Amino acid sequence: MSLKDDFPILSREVNGHPLVYLDNAATTQKPQVVIDAMSQYYSNSNANVHRAVHTLAGEATEGYEDCRRWIKSWFNAEKAILTSGTTEAINLVAYGWGRANLQPGDVIVLTEMEHHSDIVPWQILSEERGIEIRYVPVLDDFTLDMEAYAVSLENAKLVCVVHTSNVLGVRNSVDELISLAHNAGAKILIDAAQAVPHDRIDFEHFNADFMAFSAHKMCGPTGIGALLVKNDAFEQMQPFMGGGDMIESVTTSGSTYQTNEHKFEAGTPKIAEAVGWSAAFEWMSKIDLPAHHERLLSIAKWTADQLRGIGFTVYGRHQSGDAAVVSFLHPTIHSEDFARFLDAKGFAVRTGHHCAQPLLNRLGITGTIRASFYLYNTQDEAEKFISTVRYIVEKFA
Amino acid sequence: MKYPQVLQDLIDEFTEIEDKMEILEYVYDLSDEVVEFPIAKWSEKTRIIGCQSEAHLEVVVIDGIVELRCGADSKIVQGLMGIITIAINGRKAEDVLQLKPDFAQEMGILNSLSPSRSNGFRNLFDKVMLEIRMKQ
Repeated sequence: MSLKDDFPILSREVNGHPLVYLDNAATTQKPQVVIDAMSQYYSNSNANVHRAVHTLAGEATEGYEDCRRWIKSWFNAEKAILTSGTTEAINLVAYGWGRANLQPGDVIVLTEMEHHSDIVPWQILSEERGIEIRYVPVLDDFTLDMEAYAVSLENAKLVCVVHTSNVLGVRNSVDELISLAHNAGAKILIDAAQAVPHDRIDFEHFNADFMAFSAHKMCGPTGIGALLVKNDAFEQMQPFMGGGDMIESVTTSGSTYQTNEHKFEAGTPKIAEAVGWSAAFEWMSKIDLPAHHERLLSIAKWTADQLRGIGFTVYGRHQSGDAAVVSFLHPTIHSEDFARFLDAKGFAVRTGHHCAQPLLNRLGITGTIRASFYLYNTQDEAEKFISTVRYIVEKFA
Repeated sequence: MKYPQVLQDLIDEFTEIEDKMEILEYVYDLSDEVVEFPIAKWSEKTRIIGCQSEAHLEVVVIDGIVELRCGADSKIVQGLMGIITIAINGRKAEDVLQLKPDFAQEMGILNSLSPSRSNGFRNLFDKVMLEIRMKQ
């Protein structure tokens, strides 16, 4: 049995060829245990959570809250708010913390490397509140300009920075970013969407104030994610969505709110997704993540070297700690055409701006082809990939 | 739907090809069928929104007869333009406006015709039709 056998989708064919799935930075595939857990939930325990005494409601509540226990334990976190994903988690900081704590003239520091999810909410808040946004430049070696970062922190109230770039795979110097932000008196939000699939981050030790991520990039279901929050930042947050489940009491003259994470989880939550995510955590707990990360990074580096040898430009460096992401461009074959040719041979890769247009503008390009590797990918698949890339180049370049 | 003979011939040719790579190669080759639309004339007005590639077109209607001029930096997108060019150029505008985009699916060149950002064909087709309507 190989690890790949746990993923039913990986045994299918695409266009007459065995599927080689290399779009993991967009979403990972799901092991059978996750699919079964969600199916079992709907088949046996489906009910709404919390306020009900019947057995099914109890099972659903246990299933939902079990996911929170997994998150807190996995990341060593005090508070874990369940959201629809990284995007909602960042928006929750913008509206839940930002609106309550930022004033006109306050400064938020972002970087040119951010995903649109970590830019647009701040631009909206900036327009609404008259907040200044500063962007830390990306250097030619694909790292952040830390000198510019240090300067940008003057009067900053909040720093929002991506842990690992979804385009470049570059892991930023997060410890230094966090430490400098705190020294300047600013809180810091880490977008860890691309980090948590590869690295079991200890949130307490990490010392960021907020950390956002999604389940679907770590073998869990789509539609669910989390925001980890330090206790003092949590106390400064106000709910931005009102409704059921987040209240203590409601009268015609006003409402009082829950004091725990439920305060920020208005409405019926993602119960089946939470159950599925728990199953993903349990499955991943049996995996040696650091060993796999080293293996995948080695595959990515080999792939990047091969691509350079064929004449591609590769955007990234594949150093220790980076993600197994390879972004590349051919000098004459359009990236979209290349991805279609690869699809015709069974390879799933992503093309386009990867929701990081400021970064691509900085790189002077409009899009890349991106191959991203995860637990079930092998060196053999990478070699088949390169062989197919060579075939396409010989035929169409 | 009954298609003009030239388009029906193209559909028949495509449906005989089973291998996806060969289908794409054929589309790639059809990029030569477009009437050139020089890059110097490309503008926001001529751009096809929703394409990942830079794709531009203009439609001229003279004496009720349609001529599509177009180009793209993606050869496959330009190949799709070539297919539309074969389907509509030299035909009466009123006849062209009867055309539905389903032929692309019948050819097996697209997985879906939904108007999404990843599927420039539908946006391309809709823009051609809109331009013809405006210039009739």
